[in-house]
Amino acid sequence: MVLFACTARAGEYDFDIPGIKKRPYEIGGNLETRGILHRLNRHGLLYKTKYYDASESATRGEFHQILELNGRVLVGPLRARIKTHSEYVETYRHHDLDHELYEAYLTYNTSPAFTLQTGKRVFKWGKGYAWNPVGFVNRPKDPEDPERDLEGFTALGADFIRSFGPAGLQSLSFTPLILPVSNHINQELGESGDTLIAAKLYLLLYDTDLDFMVRLGPRRPEMYGIDFSRNLKENLEVHGELAYLRGYEHKALDDGGKLASETSNAFSFLFGLRYLTASDTTLIFEYYHHGEGYDSGEADRFYSFLDQSCRNYLDTKNQQQIDRAGKVRQAYLRDKNFMKDYLYLKVSQKEPFDILYLTPYITLIANLNDGSFSVSPSATYRPVTNLELTLRTIFPIGGSMTEYGEKQDRCRMELRVKYYF
Amino acid sequence: MKKVLMVAVLIFFAAVFPAFALDGNDILKKVDRNLNPETFEMYRKLINIEPDGSRKEFVLYTLKKGADRVVSLFISPASEKGRATLRVGENMWLYIPSVGKPIRITSLQSITGGIFNNSDIMRLDYSAEYNCEKIEERDGQYLLHLKARTRTVAYDRVKMWVHSEELLPAKLECYAASGMLIKTLHFKEIKDFDNGIVRPAVVETDSPLHKGYKSVMIFAGIKRKKLADEVFTINYLSRVGNLR
Repeated sequence: MVLFACTARAGEYDFDIPGIKKRPYEIGGNLETRGILHRLNRHGLLYKTKYYDASESATRGEFHQILELNGRVLVGPLRARIKTHSEYVETYRHHDLDHELYEAYLTYNTSPAFTLQTGKRVFKWGKGYAWNPVGFVNRPKDPEDPERDLEGFTALGADFIRSFGPAGLQSLSFTPLILPVSNHINQELGESGDTLIAAKLYLLLYDTDLDFMVRLGPRRPEMYGIDFSRNLKENLEVHGELAYLRGYEHKALDDGGKLASETSNAFSFLFGLRYLTASDTTLIFEYYHHGEGYDSGEADRFYSFLDQSCRNYLDTKNQQQIDRAGKVRQAYLRDKNFMKDYLYLKVSQKEPFDILYLTPYITLIANLNDGSFSVSPSATYRPVTNLELTLRTIFPIGGSMTEYGEKQDRCRMELRVKYYF
Repeated sequence: MKKVLMVAVLIFFAAVFPAFALDGNDILKKVDRNLNPETFEMYRKLINIEPDGSRKEFVLYTLKKGADRVVSLFISPASEKGRATLRVGENMWLYIPSVGKPIRITSLQSITGGIFNNSDIMRLDYSAEYNCEKIEERDGQYLLHLKARTRTVAYDRVKMWVHSEELLPAKLECYAASGMLIKTLHFKEIKDFDNGIVRPAVVETDSPLHKGYKSVMIFAGIKRKKLADEVFTINYLSRVGNLR
């Protein structure tokens, strides 16, 4: 009877599901246009040392056109994947077209339990959203844009997986990697001829993700790490990372204004949570201790040095002053957040006022050592299939001689239009 | 003679008090098995329909093994292609190709927008998540009053109306711990998927929290499939498409 009644209603929906037929190859990608408007902080030291020779202007525009292509071929147990990134950039100073190969790798797996992989691939170790102290084989993230695509590293590796019962140790995987360095690959990881070894052991233990990782190699610090992630409730997740770096090079200005280098050890760690409220508001909160970062005294010396270099340049027009400031600036700002202690908070509201596919969010990144911070009210809207619009604004706030107070932008506004195909 | 007497007494009690013969949890297990085999693959189309009639569609390839392991791969649209979700018990992860690593998600989030949340899309066996506390029988249907077995289950309480002959669900009402109705799921279009699988091919949902909006899930290609346990691990998420 039920069967009869329901059959009578057949035709209300289209039962044809596209894409069921599998093809041995796939190709796709996305095209993105990004317009950026900078309102410059002309009193900021980072502005002064970078645009010392520029004409006075309160705002500057920037335009990016990005094309990313993805390709995948599957032949028996072999799978090849490629991802390209082409970017045209136009600023007030220059225009440039750049092509990068983000990924190009082969995997071979005869069973789900074992995979061999070789080539250039993006690895993302760690559980943190804004920072990853245990991301030993990751490209550094920008906490202001942590979901941005990044280039991979070239490695030879394997992946062993074992699954167990529903309690206790539920699954385990081991991922060893060999990362060679040459003049063409992985230059950021050492000098030509060096070889680094990295490995990650993952356990799903009592419903908790646990990772143990290590990275060893010449001319770079030894790195040891552990991370975890767990759902405490149906709407609450907690995560953390702990990294120990043995023998990293800490470059800082000494009392005489010279850039001195010393070998040191450091612990870095992160603790975070994601919480979803009944009204579909998601909170991501993270505290990050950056062990290799600079303390307040070192940061003060850095800002004083930049300030003095700018003054000297204005007095003497001696280019060496600016060149030296540039080198010091490069050494200090190697990491996106260069001091010790940070907080990150992102609050996003899914589909407010019943507007489907709209997600407004606000992000706060605070430097706990100098009290400066940045606030970023933004929104993402996906009005139609495959089209994504993002509006981002970033307001760095802080006094003089603070991280966000000395940023080169007083504020930045960004519009991104991304189409997937 | 004694045996005959005992059987007669049992038949008498079963006839007079039919509720004694009903076990809600047994019915729930049968509903689970009628909806899908223990280990299988399937395709689903998810449609979010707005009050003005505009719609957004997603297609997912899904694998399930046992009572509590399920993995889904988005095969369209292009903006979602390659995303994969994994659920092992109450643990849930989302893999986004551009992010490059699986991140833990919670059951109440929604990765597709619309009214279906993650626990609807990566549904486990009902009997794995809920305990039947009370059963009623009326108008050719059973009404099962279900209570979440743990606090990590998305809905604290569920009322499930089950066709008593076919033992297939007709309607579900999902409630928060506060007693608030979060959504209603309507099971429609019972269809023969071959291999002895006869089940509703459409699930519609609406919610008092999203008035005028509707989300629909259409099922296709449900087939039994042998799957290794390792398929249901986070390291395998980026390779799920190899199994299609």
